Amino acid sequence: MTSSDWLDVAGWSESFSNWSMDNVHDVLPSGDIDMQVTIPSTWAWPEPITMGPIFNMQSGFASIQPALESFMHATIMCTVVFGMMMTTMLAIPYIERKFIGRLMDRLGATTTLRSLWVGESGVTAGEWWNQLPFGMGAPIGWVVNALNSTWGNSHELETVARVNNRSYHGYWFLLPGFFQAFADFMKFATKEHIVPKNADKVVFEVAPVIILATTIMVFAFVPFGPHIYAANPELSLLFMMAIFGIAPLGVFFAGWASNNKYTLIGGMRSAAQLTAYEIPLLITVLGVAVLSGSFNIIEIVDFQMGQDEGNVWNIFLMPLGALLFLVTMIAEVERIPFDMPEAEAELVEGWWTEYGGIRWGLMFAAEYMRSYAACILFALFFLGGWEAPFQHTLSNLPAVGGIFSTVFSVIPGLIWVLLKAWLLFAVFVWIRASLHRVRTDQILEFGWRYLLPLSMLNLVIATILRLQFWTGGPWDLWVPAAVTLVSGGLFVILAIDEDEEALEIQRRPYSTQAVVKASPGSHRK
Amino acid sequence: MAEMWISMGPQHPMTHGLWTLKVKVDGETVVDTEPDLGYIHRGVEKICESRDFTQITTYCDRLCYASANTWSHAYIYAAEDLLEVEVPERAEYIRLVAIELQRVASHLMWLGAYGPDIGNLSVMVWCLREREMMMDLLQELGGSRMHYNFPRIGGVKRDLPYGFAQRARAKLKLFLNRIQEYEALFDESTVFLVRSQGVGYAKPEEMVNHGVTGPNLRAGGVNYDIRWAHPYSVYSELDWAPPVERSSIKGADCYDRYRVRVEEMRVSASLVLQALDKMPGGADTYHEPEDPMILAKAPSRAPEGTTGAHHFEDSRGESMFYIAGGGEGRGKQPYRVSIRSPMFITIPYAAKCMIGYKVADIPAIMGSFDPCIGETDR
Repeated sequence: MTSSDWLDVAGWSESFSNWSMDNVHDVLPSGDIDMQVTIPSTWAWPEPITMGPIFNMQSGFASIQPALESFMHATIMCTVVFGMMMTTMLAIPYIERKFIGRLMDRLGATTTLRSLWVGESGVTAGEWWNQLPFGMGAPIGWVVNALNSTWGNSHELETVARVNNRSYHGYWFLLPGFFQAFADFMKFATKEHIVPKNADKVVFEVAPVIILATTIMVFAFVPFGPHIYAANPELSLLFMMAIFGIAPLGVFFAGWASNNKYTLIGGMRSAAQLTAYEIPLLITVLGVAVLSGSFNIIEIVDFQMGQDEGNVWNIFLMPLGALLFLVTMIAEVERIPFDMPEAEAELVEGWWTEYGGIRWGLMFAAEYMRSYAACILFALFFLGGWEAPFQHTLSNLPAVGGIFSTVFSVIPGLIWVLLKAWLLFAVFVWIRASLHRVRTDQILEFGWRYLLPLSMLNLVIATILRLQFWTGGPWDLWVPAAVTLVSGGLFVILAIDEDEEALEIQRRPYSTQAVVKASPGSHRK
Repeated sequence: MAEMWISMGPQHPMTHGLWTLKVKVDGETVVDTEPDLGYIHRGVEKICESRDFTQITTYCDRLCYASANTWSHAYIYAAEDLLEVEVPERAEYIRLVAIELQRVASHLMWLGAYGPDIGNLSVMVWCLREREMMMDLLQELGGSRMHYNFPRIGGVKRDLPYGFAQRARAKLKLFLNRIQEYEALFDESTVFLVRSQGVGYAKPEEMVNHGVTGPNLRAGGVNYDIRWAHPYSVYSELDWAPPVERSSIKGADCYDRYRVRVEEMRVSASLVLQALDKMPGGADTYHEPEDPMILAKAPSRAPEGTTGAHHFEDSRGESMFYIAGGGEGRGKQPYRVSIRSPMFITIPYAAKCMIGYKVADIPAIMGSFDPCIGETDR
């Protein structure tokens, strides 16, 4: 089943291109005109080129019309996808700012989650769901109250006070902090551009262009929906992964050209790290391709949601692959705990120490774009892309299935892609807020000695699943259920690595050494 | 790759102050180090020679910006030794409360700075949040937020304000719960353990030979705490013990130093709670300033030939003041003030500890020694 979505941007763009080019064709003069164009030989050609003498504009245009139509279609789609990428990416720094602010300012992850349903309430916004028109927020209020009575404090105000460690002044619907990204951009754009005296100036200027251009180019192959993509070649997966791997070259250029010891070390770290993580990443993605039987991203998503194909999200079939993809992608986009190339504690700012102003801002934006691309790719590869959670199950329910299918047909797939990507970015931020930075040699060791064999194992699992357990139609329900159960059980077993007895004896479970306390009062003798 | 020198500092995220660490690296490995100190030398010792004994307290506050109260008390004890003043017991208890609160605040500042050193920003914000509570309590005592100028020769400036004991107990109770959150973020994180364990070994015998003191030495298994070994003030009246890590054969690593400081925060908090309970006259009574309960009369002159000295357990180690009387104005000012700074001795040793480890370990090792440049350069 090919995915259906009323938000058919590609179709609209194509029909608009055809229609407008037909109009151009129609308004051209229909008769033959006597036109002779001669290009003199002195320019480049040995012989003078002569067109004409008789030229029919309509039939001449008709020969190039398909090329013009596809060019116009591509232009429109590139503009749409670029604009969509840039506007939706504004949510990424917003999520980072808000979520990490909560994690750091408040009382840990549990309270952070609770703060999401308590909201910025209390002295500021209060029960914000009551401000929604037509009582639309009433269900939110029920959920919030239910959650509060279950996991909140017994007293509502106490929860609010605990969560509301700080206050903000403003209206929740203005998304306080959202437009900070624009202010940041203005600041970067107005800063002076400084090139270090002894830098390799050409390479210094070229490196940000390489990084930014390849990062944006990745989005050409990332579909936001079944019909929203800039380009959709047969092997879009390979194409995109190849372009994803160009940016490290720019990083290395930047590190070398700045003529600074910090940037040099940062660039080398980046090169080593990205080499170590590119290979497990590619093998993991290969596992996805094997399982879905396609190198085309849209077909991979179709395989996950099509009722006559797989019909199960890939994360339930290869959780190991999803985990590997998450870890390697965090390393690829150089976020904590793998942000060794820009370790600000010892390398000041790593390979971009010498960049300032708009170049720094754009490279930082490229960093976020790569994170965003990683999140979207995770959503597409493992979380069913533009399929709503349990879409088919809910739509096939006996009584209320019709309502659900109507609702799902109204919501465009784009929404689900974005929601999944943003949620995943929140996980990135959560990881960043709770982990430390891993050392370079440890990062490399982890990549080569653990991730590479695991990704090979994942490939083997994907092959076995595809060849042995896939019958050509939807997956038998026991296959994803068994895989998920086994993986979850393994995860739980591996997570409990603490020695219970040691825990009881020692308050510090991981300490290798014990505190020796002198007996109190020995100094009074 | 050929070896090269990297000059980290004077303004570098690793330094925690204004100094330079020159590092010779071979690729990622540190081959040689050379600390370069003295960027913020203010000549405090010389300034003190032209100030009255009471005026010097404020200068000693400014020796260390993270642990001001302990330094002014270090001076006060030496000055009391010089001027031979008997301090009322209630004043000693109030001083103990102030010193230990300051120690908690200083260690929180250290833990908050150590998080970003190895890549975690959350713990900094958490620790500064709790430090704020300590600063609020100290502000109630001294009146200002950083440089309190709280002790006086012969006692303290002010008694505990009304309700201080209640607020201190509540805040310390909350704080003791929150230490467990830090431990959840640090000790239970494998990433932190692989970053801190087995890194930056410091041998106890070498530390003793170099004169390294304080939590850094106790991390190596040497039970030397001046509050314990040579008790001053009323430390011998309270029930406590200095936390000491059992050192491995290689010495103390970054994790040991982290553990000792976290345990020390617990011990300091319990000291404050005990002192509030045992306070002579009760923690809830209030005496006016210059009441004999909190401030003894002290002479303002020290004749020529008299000397005073005091070993003091600062947040970072053993600080010592040596004061010779008989300066200007017939002994109204000191003839000479000499300050022993624990970090001035520790920083060169810490720089030596880094040799052989990776570049990424430099902030992890340096941060674990808790450098404070204000007292180092004096």
